[in-house]
Amino acid sequence: MIGALLDWKDRLLGRGDASITVPVFDGALKSNNLLEDAPVFATLDAPQDLATDGRSLFVANGMTVLRYDLAQAGDEGHALATEVHRFESAVSALACLPDGGMAIALGGTEVRILGGAHDGRHWNAVAGKPLHAVNAISVRADGQLLVTDGSSEHPVEHWKNDLMGLGRSGRVLELNLTDGASREIASGLAHAFGACAVGDSVWASESWGHRVMTYGGAKGTRAVTDALPGYPSRISPASEETGGGYWLTCFTLRTQLVEFVLREPAYRKRMLAEIDPQYWIAPALNSGNTYLEPMQGAQLKTMGVVKPWAPPHSYGLVIRLTPEGLVRYSLHSRFDGKHHGVVSAIECQGDLYLLAKGCGRILRLSIDAAQRSLQK
Amino acid sequence: MTATPSSAGSGPILELRQATKKYAGVPAIDSVDFSLMPGEVHAILGENGAGKSTLTKVMAGVVNLSSGKMLVEGVEINPRTPNEALQLGVAMVFQETSLVPTMTVAQNLFLGQESYFNRLRGKYIAAQQFLQSLQFDVDPTVVVSLLGAAKKQMVEIARAVLHNAKVIIFDEPTASLTPEEKKYFFDLVFNLKARGVSVIFISHALEEALLLADRITILRDGKLVVTDVKANFDRARIVQAMVGRDLSQTLYGQRKTTVRPAGKRVLSVQNLRMAPMVKNNSLSAFAGQITGVFGLVGSGRTETFKVVAGVNKRDFMHGGEVLLNGRPVRYVVPASAVRDGIAYVTEDRKVEGFFETKSIADNIYLGLLSKLRGKRSLVSRTEAANVGTEWIKLLNIRAISKDVKAIELSGGNQQKVVIAKSLIQEPELIIFDEPTRGVDVGAITEIHELINRLADEGKAVVVISSYLPEVMALSDRILVQRMGKVVEEYSALEATEEKIMYAAIH
Repeated sequence: MIGALLDWKDRLLGRGDASITVPVFDGALKSNNLLEDAPVFATLDAPQDLATDGRSLFVANGMTVLRYDLAQAGDEGHALATEVHRFESAVSALACLPDGGMAIALGGTEVRILGGAHDGRHWNAVAGKPLHAVNAISVRADGQLLVTDGSSEHPVEHWKNDLMGLGRSGRVLELNLTDGASREIASGLAHAFGACAVGDSVWASESWGHRVMTYGGAKGTRAVTDALPGYPSRISPASEETGGGYWLTCFTLRTQLVEFVLREPAYRKRMLAEIDPQYWIAPALNSGNTYLEPMQGAQLKTMGVVKPWAPPHSYGLVIRLTPEGLVRYSLHSRFDGKHHGVVSAIECQGDLYLLAKGCGRILRLSIDAAQRSLQK
Repeated sequence: MTATPSSAGSGPILELRQATKKYAGVPAIDSVDFSLMPGEVHAILGENGAGKSTLTKVMAGVVNLSSGKMLVEGVEINPRTPNEALQLGVAMVFQETSLVPTMTVAQNLFLGQESYFNRLRGKYIAAQQFLQSLQFDVDPTVVVSLLGAAKKQMVEIARAVLHNAKVIIFDEPTASLTPEEKKYFFDLVFNLKARGVSVIFISHALEEALLLADRITILRDGKLVVTDVKANFDRARIVQAMVGRDLSQTLYGQRKTTVRPAGKRVLSVQNLRMAPMVKNNSLSAFAGQITGVFGLVGSGRTETFKVVAGVNKRDFMHGGEVLLNGRPVRYVVPASAVRDGIAYVTEDRKVEGFFETKSIADNIYLGLLSKLRGKRSLVSRTEAANVGTEWIKLLNIRAISKDVKAIELSGGNQQKVVIAKSLIQEPELIIFDEPTRGVDVGAITEIHELINRLADEGKAVVVISSYLPEVMALSDRILVQRMGKVVEEYSALEATEEKIMYAAIH
């Protein structure tokens, strides 16, 4: 009763949860054009995820897995793709295993091992619940797999429905390659999307919670970094040569308009029932395709420049985290750019490969050059 | 060593001979000979505690000489009050406002000139016309307490001009003025000079002295070091004379080559509103970094951080959020903010910074008590004395003893008391609002070193300053605020004065 009254008071006064504010892009999150200016390595029709074995870049593209031999790629960054696998359904995530095999998520409902010592092992359910939206796989140092199952209600590609439905059914899972055992590390997450082993703990992105959580380890469950201005997704380790830490992708940004809609159940319900998802007031991986889309809120120009904190419909953002989880710097493609909806960033041979799903491009960025540019 | 301008044809309009003023036996000014010629603009410069304010207060009748003589137009006088001095043609515009805060601008202007029947509308019209003639954009009907520091200063200046004084003394007249307002002030000084009015001004902006003054007098430790015509000075000579050591290479001379990396986000201000000054403002402050905030007067910098510190309240409805270490906070009184680890070092120390009739030790101890409220039932005089002694030493506060009243200290030492009062609370976030306003060059260096040390210790430090070189010298990142919100952010490595000013005014 008291809670309901306080909630009513907050809604009346625009306070607390009803204040509808979003964190600002400043400090290490100050915007730049590094992501937008990154050279295009490849353009594909349905890229989903990236993985590397240290020599080649593997790309999940629709129902296929492509391999790019980086030794063949010149300074321009272009290399010929070789199809190494083709499946009956779309590949939603992949990871390279230390023994030369590969872990593949198919349609978000199955994790399958191809090649290596555990070829053929597969999982369809964990802890008695079927896999429903597997969107990221990573490998622990001990060879076990870390998997995030985004939602038990909506498939991988219907993430907007999960956001608009205030979904809290994401899970972080551990799969044992040796004996096929599996367990839940965390459940009830507001869209789990990406996990990474950090020492004896696991970092996992909780997209709709705008944070990266850590599970296990000495300090237990806590937020590593929170109040992010975007929706975090996959995490991958950064090499010690470039300063260590982690790469965190944010596939789109929070805006006050979307935050407002998320607090209006009646409006949301009707929008979901009556409007084409493309035109929802919801974040998107790309925008500017039709005038029927919700208007970009990023028309704020000062001194002839679109302000970095202007709220866009789609955006490109990759965050470099320190080993402690602090934001060290960030790479941006602003609202008027193309390289939006970045869902994967992996480091290989001194370069950072980025998957901008919004435009179907794989980008290759020199980390040294980017860091030098940020220090100017 | 003295010199008089060759242009002066007659005798001095105001003269001090062997002027000495002692406080508790310690001379604030010691055997100073000073002369002011008709129509002359005379700058008085000096380090913290050099005796500048005392010298001018003697002329304005605020304090009386212990020994020596004061002459106006060759006649020895001894004004006992500022009003007596004003009757003799000497007016002073104080550094800290002497306006009545509950009265309107017009009422303040005509204070003391009221007739038996006062027609308020007539006063407002007269005040409006007069303010417009000075090109001061101040509404005469506004209550003074609602004005910012710059506008209060304008009213002070206007009041002195209105009284047709022959000598007008300005104590740090441009400290709170925007560049545009400063230009008006300079024009005003030249106008006064053209009308034969003599002007004395104290300033820490050496360029202003070199621009405005006919002659410059430099004091150090209460003694006159040199009086000379402007042409014989340059910046280096002034600084050398003021402090006896070369600070020009260390204060603002060197550009930053490294910046501290950001630690955790300690403060996050999101979409903050406080009509009409703060409009949808968002910013962050990080541990282990100095975040500089620059903006012209009226850009809402102070108001934003006063909301953070619980001094002001944000809009009642839809006022945005303030998050401290990720936790939403909304303070009704500053004490709650203090207990949460936020310290705000005010720009207006006399009004908000300390209790002027209390001792240094008491003022600092009060800072500690505000942090510990509820945990102390009795006030310990011994602890207060210990705290006072400790912090006087830590911050190098120059005073005869810990029991000296705050009002008896010079501006720089008063500022150190305010800082000590905040630091004793062991804050996590420290907001310095114009930390070196009205502070001499030597104390500025000490305060800057202290601010840097706090950031090195891992505290989140915010420095609000209207002085660009200061912002650039101190900050690791610089936020530029305009019309109630942050409009630009620069790393200290990329910032230039031109870039910052451009963002602040466009």
